[in-house]
Amino acid sequence: MSDELDGRLKVYEGRPAAVASRGKDPVNAPMIRHWCEAMGDTNPAYSGPDAIAPPTMLQAWTMGGLSGHTARTGAYDELLGLLDEAGYTSVVATDCEQEYLRPLRPGDEITFDAVIEAVSERKATKLGAGYFVTTRMDVRIGTDLAGTHRFRILKYAPAPRRTKPPRPRPVVNGDNAGFWEGVRRRALLIQRCIGCGALRHPWLPGCNACGGLEWDTVEASGEGTVYSYVVMHHPPFPAFDPPYAVGLIELAEGVRMIGNVVGVPYDKVRIGLPVRLEFQDCDEELVLPVWRAQEAQGIQEAQGIQEAPQTQEAQEARKIQQTQKPQPPRGMTSGAEATARRVTSGTAKRMKPGDELPPLKIPITRTLIVAGAIASRDYQDVHHDPELAREKGSPDVFMNILTTNGLVGRYLTDHLGPTTVLRRVAIRLGAPNYPGDTMVLTGTVEEVTDDTATVRVVGANGIGRHVTGTVTVTVPTATAPAGGVA
Amino acid sequence: MSARTRDALSGRAAIVGVGATEFSKDSGRSELRLAVEAVRAALDDAGLTPGDVDGMVTFTMDTSPEITVAQACGMGELSFFSRVHYGGGAACATIQQAALAIATGVADVVVCYRAFNERSGRRFGSGVQHREPSAEGVALGWSLPFGLLTPASWVAMAAQRYLHTYGLTPEAFGHVAVMDRKYAATNPAAYFHGRPITLADHAASRWIVEPLRLLDCCQETDGGQALVVTSVERARDLPHPPAVIAAAAQGAGRGQEQMTSFYRDDLAGLPETAVVARQLWRTAGLGPGEIDLGILYDHFTPFVLMQLEEFGFCAKGEAGDFVAEERLPLNTHGGQLGEAYLHGMNGIAEGVRQVRGTSVNQIPGAERVLVTAGTGVPTSGLVLATDV
Repeated sequence: MSDELDGRLKVYEGRPAAVASRGKDPVNAPMIRHWCEAMGDTNPAYSGPDAIAPPTMLQAWTMGGLSGHTARTGAYDELLGLLDEAGYTSVVATDCEQEYLRPLRPGDEITFDAVIEAVSERKATKLGAGYFVTTRMDVRIGTDLAGTHRFRILKYAPAPRRTKPPRPRPVVNGDNAGFWEGVRRRALLIQRCIGCGALRHPWLPGCNACGGLEWDTVEASGEGTVYSYVVMHHPPFPAFDPPYAVGLIELAEGVRMIGNVVGVPYDKVRIGLPVRLEFQDCDEELVLPVWRAQEAQGIQEAQGIQEAPQTQEAQEARKIQQTQKPQPPRGMTSGAEATARRVTSGTAKRMKPGDELPPLKIPITRTLIVAGAIASRDYQDVHHDPELAREKGSPDVFMNILTTNGLVGRYLTDHLGPTTVLRRVAIRLGAPNYPGDTMVLTGTVEEVTDDTATVRVVGANGIGRHVTGTVTVTVPTATAPAGGVA
Repeated sequence: MSARTRDALSGRAAIVGVGATEFSKDSGRSELRLAVEAVRAALDDAGLTPGDVDGMVTFTMDTSPEITVAQACGMGELSFFSRVHYGGGAACATIQQAALAIATGVADVVVCYRAFNERSGRRFGSGVQHREPSAEGVALGWSLPFGLLTPASWVAMAAQRYLHTYGLTPEAFGHVAVMDRKYAATNPAAYFHGRPITLADHAASRWIVEPLRLLDCCQETDGGQALVVTSVERARDLPHPPAVIAAAAQGAGRGQEQMTSFYRDDLAGLPETAVVARQLWRTAGLGPGEIDLGILYDHFTPFVLMQLEEFGFCAKGEAGDFVAEERLPLNTHGGQLGEAYLHGMNGIAEGVRQVRGTSVNQIPGAERVLVTAGTGVPTSGLVLATDV
């Protein structure tokens, strides 16, 4: 069956996907500004009278937008239609490879031709079985080739969502039922001996300090720190997705309890990390107390293996310091930090293979995901509508590939300065960027020739590698900024 | 009383027979059959017959009742039978029970045994996802909904705190694995006979539960091990030199739990081991400097380090170096990482062989051996010595 379909799909290879299509709008300052705002890109080259468009916007100028594509050929629509009919109804972009031959400026009117370069055989993927369709597009201004854009999508049949078995139940009897009743109404109760006032956890009918049997409870303030933790890898349990961290939390009141640390990737949990209580609805019957990591600052403090209580003044001072002098989170550079030669605002000539760019940490907010999608004229529902995203098997909306591409471009120009010229960006997507996650971009210089360098970029989020790729940049020597490597 | 004063058990009883099945990953026979084979082998080694036995001790976790093993071994009437709780923490306590019965005249010849198909049958490493709402179930139940489900994970929680407290890396644990596998390599009975490892192998092995790697975790084993205990007087008439029980002790700490003692003061040590250590040194009249070798329970490497510290062989946080520098011969059978995981009973057998002078990795002049039992749980220990 699929062999037969394979054959019917193969004939589309080499056929045009777009012929002499025109961009819906000329290159223009408002769209550039919206893009830069969404990406957080403050590169001065993208504003002012001599502004150029961010090169990574290349595809955005070719997008159909909310009203859809009018420029596609019958062949491309037929190919997608065949896949839809065969049940491969979902689509996700997986690869984007762009070369930039000349800058685009406000007023430029672009035309583009695209060809269906390849249709893969049926592949089994994590998302479900499907076909990779690769197109290659030439973007022109008049007769000048301004850039090329190779794009790969996966058209797939969403795999039935694995229904996870519920988590192991708490073990409840008459001695500890009060604790779990409290959790159900979102109060974390600590037992207190009426005789001697000692607080205790786990719950027991009597007090280890004085032997008294009379007790009441106090509600935990919800503040705590990670006293110890483990990362579970093996064996796998169906209710959990390894690797995952389990913490032993020391509450402000002094008692300890086991719990999951949330809001931080499993490999960034540290002893001393400040956490705050939340309640999580795990399924219809189970509410659990969980512990949310208190921001990157906490991670930094924990990294320093400092457990002495910080005064509020000291914490404020630290915050101010951080605002004035942004520092990469220590967790991202541990180990490499001492030896890596840092690239700050140097030129390609000063770069050497092996140099590491300082990490860039990007909180993945719902706003970023939606703003990035709209700024790139991508109205696929999975990038802005959580309900429809869930219907398609995704737990939430997720970042589109154009935004990732834009962020990767920004990462390079942020660090190499406004004279940097992006030559080529080739990225592959992996773990999706969902709201609430954090992506940390890191870069390593791979190759340097004259004033051109190739940098390997990885963007990791809490579930894995969101993006891997390479960026080729030129930093013209003549106009290189005076500041050297810091 | 003995938590505070010297007890009267020293020198009253001795281990006179050891016997085991082969150690495998799939025995192909019942746990009862393994128990019976081990008991018969131990009696043969002791030069005694099933008819001589009037006492039996095993673990509460064992599936083969004393009466059933006795029945299948050709034993008659029993005047003493007892079981000890808390998993591997029971190991040395079975010998203590036997010695108590013998010292008080309750029994003459007591057999201690443990047999299971822990690899081909119920594997402890596969974890726990459900418990009945007994007091024990509730105690473990505090961890289950959060996915802390395996023995490795319970130990790892303490191990992480240990590394943090003393500023160490997981390499500290690697020294224990390398040492165990070194001795296993020259022990034909060991599963890992002929297969030593390096620190690099340890560091390259996959994570099980961070900070524990595969090579920090003991094997899972099918097999049986038995030991025969009688009075020192009777022991002198038997074929092998007696391994005299110079001291035997159990210990539980304040705020003790089974594997999940997360809530008490110190997570970077083993208070229950300190309770055992205090009693053993006092009753045996010995200190760490007078011990010739140690057989320290090693289901997971970190607790070997903490035991060395609790027994006073070295300062807190220094046991990794102590092991790396081989300052004391340890686990000469290869331990439970290298030889087999028999819930600590195979370690007692090695202690007996060292006192007899018959170990394949014999330490010259070994006269006093410290043997310990399962850690992270209420535990036990022995000092075995040559007859004076």
